[in-house]
Amino acid sequence: MTHIAMPERREGPVDPMPKQPGPSEEGGGPKRPDTGSPEKDNLLKRMRKVDPKQAERYRQRTGE
Amino acid sequence: MRLFGIETEYGITRDDLEEVDPVVESMELVRAHLTASFERRWDYAGEDPHEDARGFRVSGLAQDKEEDEFAKLDAHRPFSFHEMKSDLVLPNGARFYNDHTHPEYSTPECRRLKDLLAQDRAGERIVQRAADRRNRSLGGEYVQLYKNNTDFHGHSYGCHDNYLALRSIPFPQLRAGLLPFLVSRQVIAGAGKVGIEAQESGVVPGQFQLSQRADFMETDLSVDTMHNRPILNTRDEPHADPKKYRRLHLIIGDANMCEYATALKVGTTQLVLDLIERGAAPSLELEQPVTAVKQLSRDIDLKAAVRRQNGQTITALDIQEEYYRAAERTLAGLDEESDWVLNEWGETLRLLAQDRQRLVGKLDWVTKLWLLETFMREERIGWDDPWLASLDLAYHNVDPARGLYLGLEADGKAWRMTTEADVERALSVGPSDTRGGLRGLCIRRFSEHIRSMQWERIQFTGGLMPRILEMGDLFEPADVRACAERFETADSPLDALKAWNDRKDTGS
Repeated sequence: MTHIAMPERREGPVDPMPKQPGPSEEGGGPKRPDTGSPEKDNLLKRMRKVDPKQAERYRQRTGE
Repeated sequence: MRLFGIETEYGITRDDLEEVDPVVESMELVRAHLTASFERRWDYAGEDPHEDARGFRVSGLAQDKEEDEFAKLDAHRPFSFHEMKSDLVLPNGARFYNDHTHPEYSTPECRRLKDLLAQDRAGERIVQRAADRRNRSLGGEYVQLYKNNTDFHGHSYGCHDNYLALRSIPFPQLRAGLLPFLVSRQVIAGAGKVGIEAQESGVVPGQFQLSQRADFMETDLSVDTMHNRPILNTRDEPHADPKKYRRLHLIIGDANMCEYATALKVGTTQLVLDLIERGAAPSLELEQPVTAVKQLSRDIDLKAAVRRQNGQTITALDIQEEYYRAAERTLAGLDEESDWVLNEWGETLRLLAQDRQRLVGKLDWVTKLWLLETFMREERIGWDDPWLASLDLAYHNVDPARGLYLGLEADGKAWRMTTEADVERALSVGPSDTRGGLRGLCIRRFSEHIRSMQWERIQFTGGLMPRILEMGDLFEPADVRACAERFETADSPLDALKAWNDRKDTGS
């Protein structure tokens, strides 16, 4: 089969989450990003700002 | 490529209130987007969710009783039906309205995946801009919107993908070809979820699963959408010439944040439809599809095997592999976009089996799992911590300052097919090769002359006779463009209609 890229396709980093081998990360599956990378720090900062009880309070009516 | 589109019901909440009235909030959100130039009454006369694709009409839906109770409550509100629905048809041909107390954005019909992604992303911007306006009027950042499918308390809302299909394909053939594919599609298109729940039942923490919607699938086939939800919805509303076409209305899908997941979800599904129409879909009938969809969702290692009707067992990846191989054999070389889908489909299945880390930023469930596992290590918490469900919710927040996925994307770690220019253009212009784009053009040029709209029809004002642009069989791109040319250049919609009808009459 021919490998054809979509027109104007843009990709993020080829490896968006560089693998950092370590004793706590064996066993496959997603691995942590570069320790101390600014991207990770930004995102973790954003995650820590999330109210731990947000989902507990979140209520919706059933939709389709 | 065939015609397709996505309808997304957004979750909505207010941070400043103890109790939120979703009817009012959803209505106020949509109306925050309102400008006088493009509010048009949607004509519901042609819609009947009781028609069943299996060839009969049901007398009632499972949700009718609940809907009736809500209608009684809503009757006491100081709003008319049209005010509560707040139907908007946008200049890009999309719909934005209050559906079942959720703000819903339906993309215009698209023919190319890149158009669909741009229109879907435009929807995220449109709802968030409406929230920004609403928040300005409230005096704080109170309204939050989530492109997800659960409230973690047993209430689900949908993200439906729709495809134009040939009426000539018997429904049993569609059923046999689609069910195994849809049961396993979640390995690519699942948005990931913390915990396990069921209809009207709270979440049980402690497990991550592939799909947000799997817990809410209750039967193989059904015309229902709010209760007794089916893997394959049988609603028969073609929104097109019913003699020639049916609309495949899929309600099993999750709302995706990753463009790549959306592209593969829709791209692979339409390839499977191509296979079915050619009689080339693999025969993989499962013994218990509903059990299988839940079982596969709860197995993030993708090792679980489900029983087939022939007594053998098969994993989700192997089901997908069978479909992929059939598509490669039958459809390779069809067109450039199909070849792209084929290539990415095969590569994604390979990476899911061998190195799924490389799919972060491409598939939602892989991305969300990675984020949560990273956070758990940093904070030294386990899967039973309620914080994780809140982070799951935050992943889907469409506020670029708060959303976890959008934060990841801003850091350049998400795959994109669209550019910001594509999304910006899609805010105001629909695809040029579909009736969705034509609908948007009519909104932009002749808004004041439109009496009502449906998916397949626009009725204009003026004169005693109905002035209607029929689009129930207007699907060939050349015909769409020829029609759009009339509406682009005419002084009035009636002139455009006359020119279009004259062309059809003369065959020129």
